[in-house]
Amino acid sequence: MTAVFTDTYYLMLRALRETIRQPALEIGNVFIPIFFFAVTVGAIGSSAARAFGVDNYTGFQMPIAVLQGVAGAAGVAGIATVTDIERGYFDKLLLTPAPRISLALGRLAADVVRICILSAFIVFVGLLFGSGMETGVLGIVVLVVMAGAFGLAYSGIGMALALKTGSAQAAQLGFLIFFPLLFLSPAFAPKEYFAPWLEFLATINPVTYIVEGMRSLVLEGWDAAAIAKAFGAIFGMGVLTMSLVLWGLRGRTA
Amino acid sequence: MAAIFAQGLAKHFTPEIKAVDGIDLAIEPGQIFGFLGANGSGKTTTVRMLTTLLRPTAGRAEVSGLDVENHAGQVRASIGVALQEAGLDDIQTGRELLTLSARLYRVPSSQMKARVDELLRIVDLEESADRALKTYSGGMQRRLDLAAALVHRPTVVFLDEPTTGLDPISRDAIWRYVGELNRTEGVTFFLTTQYLEEADRLADEVAIMAAGKIVAQGSPAELKASIGTDVVSLRIGSDEDLTRASDAVRRFEGIEDVRVVDDAVICYVRDGSSAIAALVLLLDGANIRPREVTLSQPTLDDVFLRKTGHHMEADAAADAKVRKSS
Repeated sequence: MTAVFTDTYYLMLRALRETIRQPALEIGNVFIPIFFFAVTVGAIGSSAARAFGVDNYTGFQMPIAVLQGVAGAAGVAGIATVTDIERGYFDKLLLTPAPRISLALGRLAADVVRICILSAFIVFVGLLFGSGMETGVLGIVVLVVMAGAFGLAYSGIGMALALKTGSAQAAQLGFLIFFPLLFLSPAFAPKEYFAPWLEFLATINPVTYIVEGMRSLVLEGWDAAAIAKAFGAIFGMGVLTMSLVLWGLRGRTA
Repeated sequence: MAAIFAQGLAKHFTPEIKAVDGIDLAIEPGQIFGFLGANGSGKTTTVRMLTTLLRPTAGRAEVSGLDVENHAGQVRASIGVALQEAGLDDIQTGRELLTLSARLYRVPSSQMKARVDELLRIVDLEESADRALKTYSGGMQRRLDLAAALVHRPTVVFLDEPTTGLDPISRDAIWRYVGELNRTEGVTFFLTTQYLEEADRLADEVAIMAAGKIVAQGSPAELKASIGTDVVSLRIGSDEDLTRASDAVRRFEGIEDVRVVDDAVICYVRDGSSAIAALVLLLDGANIRPREVTLSQPTLDDVFLRKTGHHMEADAAADAKVRKSS
């Protein structure tokens, strides 16, 4: 068990070194969510606030910017694993005594670190835009942890596809899955304003609970039920995606 | 106890595609074992099964006395592997790659730096150790890959075509390291190669693989002696003459075998120095003038030709040409 942690740590450091040496790859992950955040709030912020009865639409949108950033950053583990497979380096890692799960967890852990840093930065920009944070500094920490946990669960999709197919295109599908999930959540308006069919889909969509959990931290103060639902949704997603990762790893050595 | 042992080892990807079709191996500790075969003969699949990367369809194998399926983790800890096409992470530096390998192979922290420095010195990469791997030449990457395979002082090392595509200087350097490690540390090497010179120079024992089966096995000297004849090669001008020349020399008394390869008729004869003149006269009688006549002792390529029906060197050259053009 110790080997799982130590080897995951060493492989995480290697993956983070890649990020530090290729910083340009992170520009899109930072710029796109902040750009959409600024444009959405600037374009429809005041009218949406009136229409939906939301006093602070900037705070309402800030978690969406965080989740967009998470979705972009969470694709790296899968794509980088495909690169390792194509180079033959993944075989070199498989030949070491390192536990197989560490080969996946090392990259996923690096995604979590990157996502936490990125999320903290987006929250900082949100605060500059006037989003506010009802739960204070501790709320920021919980929001960033929530983003990191969601990133881990979400990265698992790309990682599983990468391991199963060895294809960069397939690994990128993991990223594309996010947008339907985001638009089927109360990302731009409260769920009560949805048509019944959309409200039903939003209710069974785990991203809805993550959005509402983060939003509660920003707008409402400490809401244990909303936070628990958010972490519950992340846990459910995580169990599913990590099972897929294990399935993909088994396929690599068949 | 054999360092590497296999019995009926097979990998069938489909019922029709039998990459490895039931091979037996017993390689003694401290040997350099050459595994020869053209591309697609099953060499790499065999290595991938012996190194736990592929599960066999049938049969069993042991490395360092450990079953490769039931004790895969222990097998991985005891072996070093440099796969075909050095698969390295080109964003890391050479030193970082070796250090990560050392950590994953559980080299004690107190010995890690010294071991990495030692290996960089052995493979002549000290000066470029802190450069990103993307700046390394193919030969440097292969040397680093070999160093990574040795970081935990394994007793058995698998090298899958370690010198394919390398220039002669880099190839010679790899051969030197392999020879030294085998002599000084008694490391057992399982070396797949398309280069007969490589097997001839390094290997204590050689197996020739064709279509998933071992078709010949023994020391290079034994295999060459097994031909039992000299080799007379007659290069002929036209295809028509080639056929006639082949028919003519088959009638020569004392001929053991005749093969037509490219533009040459290869004659396996006893006492070649006496036969060479008679063969030329025989062709002259059929009004055929050979462009070149050579007499040689059998080489591993001749053994390969006798066992498989085609030259291995020609296959390797064709493969290299395809790789270059693709």
